Amino acid sequence: MNNEVYSFALKSTLQEIQNICPDVSNSFIFKDGKILAKDETTPEKDIDHTIDAFDSITEKADIIGGLEAVTIQGANGRVNIACMNDFYLTTVSSKEADEKYVNTLTRILIPIVIRLIEKIHPALPEDGTFTTVEPEPVEPVEDEVVEEVAETTEESESNMPAEETAPTEDEEEQFAPEVDPEPLLPEAPVTQLIVENLGGLLVPSDTVRIDTEVIAQWNDLYGDKKLHEVNLETLSGKTTRCKFKPIKNSKQTGKGVIGIPEKIQLTLETSKGELVMVKPIVE
Amino acid sequence: MVKKKHSLHETSTTVIVDDEADVTPNEEDKVFTNLSQTLAEIRKETGVIGYILRSNTSATIDLKEPEKIVEYALFSSQVLDSSREISELFKLDAIESVLIEGKETKALCMDIDGIKISIFMERNADHTDILKRVSP
Repeated sequence: MNNEVYSFALKSTLQEIQNICPDVSNSFIFKDGKILAKDETTPEKDIDHTIDAFDSITEKADIIGGLEAVTIQGANGRVNIACMNDFYLTTVSSKEADEKYVNTLTRILIPIVIRLIEKIHPALPEDGTFTTVEPEPVEPVEDEVVEEVAETTEESESNMPAEETAPTEDEEEQFAPEVDPEPLLPEAPVTQLIVENLGGLLVPSDTVRIDTEVIAQWNDLYGDKKLHEVNLETLSGKTTRCKFKPIKNSKQTGKGVIGIPEKIQLTLETSKGELVMVKPIVE
Repeated sequence: MVKKKHSLHETSTTVIVDDEADVTPNEEDKVFTNLSQTLAEIRKETGVIGYILRSNTSATIDLKEPEKIVEYALFSSQVLDSSREISELFKLDAIESVLIEGKETKALCMDIDGIKISIFMERNADHTDILKRVSP
């Protein structure tokens, strides 16, 4: 079922990328010549042709030490094929699309999703055969069965599908941490936001402005608990704690941005267009 | 500042194929000559490994590893062919540039008025600056 989980998660991520960046018209992910996930608009035939064309370049790319990324800039738009964790993400965007924004978003988001799925389902099939179908409705039931068996080894194995009734020792080791009965503690969610400059005469230098939708999610999560401060962390590991307020500019609502005054940007060694991880401080 | 021109071109090879030498220079020849001069300047930049410039009648190749000319040429040709296919699939119209990033080096390929250019450089070289200088 891992292939379906991969496909479903990646497909959802691709769709979200297109929702966030309407300038991205097509997107799909492939590995070893096979489609892992695709958006709803791109025909499979076009993807197959793209993979063939890409493979033709790959075959001759030893001279540059192997292929990592291809960016074709045309008069009407741009195609980017980038390698991520052995997967190849293809995005087609219009000429107006902000290349830096699209690249930042895709090159951060997709690897995170892949890593998350690998943590949840570590036994990725080696043959790379993935399907693009939706997960079967019976899947959760099978997962429950696997968990029960892992917790109570004396349980009869006859109820489980053949492929899962005889796991190897390695597989058991891999799955063991995933069925740890330790309860999950509620943790403050970490949100990745894109840095925007925040300036002006009356702007306090110790307060960031966060997307109202993100704050609404936090308020839903913590109910009547007061949230006044956040922890900010850059991808390079720089952190700081500061106050926050909702973003004022209605045009920036829902865009996943965070307005950061120059002083805090200097502390974090970050700048406009980069990503920061934001975590509310619950006291 | 002392320029070290010698070390830059010690291993390079320039191949010029010109089978219509006595033809009156036309527009394509002018473009080719201009590009040739621009690329020769770019070639002196730190991080630039070499280039291939090819029109229907002429070709100039200046590469750090002359023994790998064929591999570089095949790669360049394949990049432009495959890019054209992908461009047609997604209706990108005319290709302005193709950037190929490898694990060791990268290549910037272009087709200007039928003249095909491939510039090879180190990964940390500034390809955007090179693109600006070569673009019409």
